[in-house]
Amino acid sequence: MRRWSTGAMIAVAVAVAAVSALISVSVTRNAGQETVPAARTTDGRPDFSGIWQANNEAHWDLQAHDARPGAVTQQGVYSYAYARVPAAPVLALGAAGGVPASLGVVAGDGQIPYTPEAAAIKQENGEHWIDRDPELKCYLPGIPRAMYMPYPFQIVQGTNKINLAYAFTSTARTIHLDKVEEPPDDTYMGHSVGRWEGDTLVVDVTRFNGKNWFDRAGNFHSEALHLVERFTPITRDAIRYEVTIEDPKVFTRPWTISMPLYRRLEPNMELLEYRCIEFVEEFLYGNLRTEQLVKRWEGETIIVDITRKVPPGDKLYEWYRR
Amino acid sequence: MRTRLFTLLGVMVVIAAVTVFVRFARTDVAGQDSSAAPQAGAAATPGPAPATPWGDPDLQGLWSYDFEVPLQRAARYGNREFFTPEEQAELDKERARILDESDRRYPRGSEQDVGGAYNAAIFTTHKQTGRRTSLIVDPADGQIPPFTPEALKKRAEIRAFQLALLQATDVCRNKLPGCTGGTYGPPSPRRADAPPHYLTVVAAGGPGGGGGVINRSHNPEDRNLGERCMAAVLPDFGGNTGFFLQIIQSPGAVSIFYDTGQGQGWQRIIPVTDNPHLPPQVRQWWGNSRGRWEGNTLVVDVTNFSPKTYFQGSYENLHLVERWTRLDAGTIEYAVTIEDPTTWTRPWTVKQEYNKQNDYANRHYKEPRCHEGNYGMVGLLAGARTEERAFAAGRGPNPATLCTAGCGGFAAGFGDAGEDSNPLTR
Repeated sequence: MRRWSTGAMIAVAVAVAAVSALISVSVTRNAGQETVPAARTTDGRPDFSGIWQANNEAHWDLQAHDARPGAVTQQGVYSYAYARVPAAPVLALGAAGGVPASLGVVAGDGQIPYTPEAAAIKQENGEHWIDRDPELKCYLPGIPRAMYMPYPFQIVQGTNKINLAYAFTSTARTIHLDKVEEPPDDTYMGHSVGRWEGDTLVVDVTRFNGKNWFDRAGNFHSEALHLVERFTPITRDAIRYEVTIEDPKVFTRPWTISMPLYRRLEPNMELLEYRCIEFVEEFLYGNLRTEQLVKRWEGETIIVDITRKVPPGDKLYEWYRR
Repeated sequence: MRTRLFTLLGVMVVIAAVTVFVRFARTDVAGQDSSAAPQAGAAATPGPAPATPWGDPDLQGLWSYDFEVPLQRAARYGNREFFTPEEQAELDKERARILDESDRRYPRGSEQDVGGAYNAAIFTTHKQTGRRTSLIVDPADGQIPPFTPEALKKRAEIRAFQLALLQATDVCRNKLPGCTGGTYGPPSPRRADAPPHYLTVVAAGGPGGGGGVINRSHNPEDRNLGERCMAAVLPDFGGNTGFFLQIIQSPGAVSIFYDTGQGQGWQRIIPVTDNPHLPPQVRQWWGNSRGRWEGNTLVVDVTNFSPKTYFQGSYENLHLVERWTRLDAGTIEYAVTIEDPTTWTRPWTVKQEYNKQNDYANRHYKEPRCHEGNYGMVGLLAGARTEERAFAAGRGPNPATLCTAGCGGFAAGFGDAGEDSNPLTR
């Protein structure tokens, strides 16, 4: 009990620190002024141009959850689900390997209305996160996932089209406000067609290939996915982002997620590369090297040996060794 | 046999990706179907250069280039910058003739024949010849300036390593162009060494041992950046597979999606800002862009390239000054001055004309993406491991004597030299 609660407390503390840092920023901003109205384009529409980032835990799990000791866990001393310990792949990361708690971003009752068969697949996905999550292979993340991954993205709002450029694997999508042909094939990033409803940008996204997930918890969809995204300005520096998710092959009814997107306010902020293809070559092809870099592949299975040494002068260890 | 098939499969998958891409190429010189040929971009969308509602020059739209212009000028044209219309027509006729008639292949059953089993037509641009004799406008001779001694040394070290790994193969035994500078001999002990420099698409060995790949597949890093799905580079002049650029701009930024290199496209954002460049310790594959408007021209300064970036022999010291000017409704002039005092003895400048494409036509310009379907890499590595096991068990040849470095070239297409070579680069 004590073992995991310490980890969880550290994770919560880190999360709280992050949240309070955020609150102090917003308090400072609001202290001396009214809420800043949304920026406008020359034709009077809300102007979403800028660099944005979700600041939440949706990339871990869309649904409300308590903090977990690791992204993958295994049974510890107890058989209870709430007393699991970090599994080997993340063990050496200590408190940095935990999953922060969240109130979730799923609207209404917070449930994702899976069909019974799909619910079983989601469960399995979560248990086999490292084996299955396309994010780990640096694959195109898809929509909506790219919108709340822990990386910034940039909106360039043009006259007939809006470009969204994502730091993660230098990918992008275009929201077409003008008439455009259907794409010739299904895609990872979908086909986005937008229109204005008052101050809200409504984007219809279709033509997915069904290979993406929603998060690291194994929430998934099929190629029948249909999204309706709604971008509404809250202030100059925040957008209300809402997505209605429909996929009759996986869900019994449409459901909605909702979250704010925050402007990155650093004056020198810009989108930097996260070109992860080269980062995952060992992960994807390591078993096919002549000399393996990460020891212990068994066939196509990676079994990573973890080394964590105690640095010289560590007070705790010096003390108990006496 | 199975190993061969495996290796070949890898190559074929890469090629299949190219095929999908090239299907979109439109002008067919050989076919001469004038109804299918596009109109020249400027003629298709006449009118003056537009401005955005907020008053900046408007570069937005889907762009490509409609005409083929070689990077460097064929020596016989000297300092002449433009072809006459008669010369253009003559060149198109000659290119069409060669591509129609070509059925070159290496001797049946040779390794080169198997390696070159795929038809080169798909790697051969069929765009009509443009007005310019070369994309390079400075120096006046249209040639990339000479390398510095420092760059020559680095290239020689890479080339020596390349040759060492080729020396036990047919390419050297048969004295094919890919072995130029090397000799035939037993497997080199250097086969066990790490490459002397980070491998990119290094000095090509030429046909019969080409592509700049080293003849080894010990790991993904042995293969070139194209096979690793990381070939996209700045500046990009299209090459054999061409490109489409989707430009979208807002008052403070110009975004460009480069659909290039068989699904190896990438997203570029040019901030229009006075902010200084990134600190020198932050390096990126596509550098760091800083844009400003000078009259009707977007001037972009690009620095902070990574040591893994490779452009024509230049690495992290590459410095670009790009000038993007919308000449009229259908045309952007792109001019780039390329500088790296550690690589070339002087800066050089390239000019390319982009032609506006139909915005309604939703070209598949962001996908398919190379990495998600990189069966080629798995095929190459798995094939090499299978070959090693077969050799160890006495069931196959020494892998060091086999060539997996693009040693066959491709059947058909232009010849390496002589009358059947590409008249634009001959």
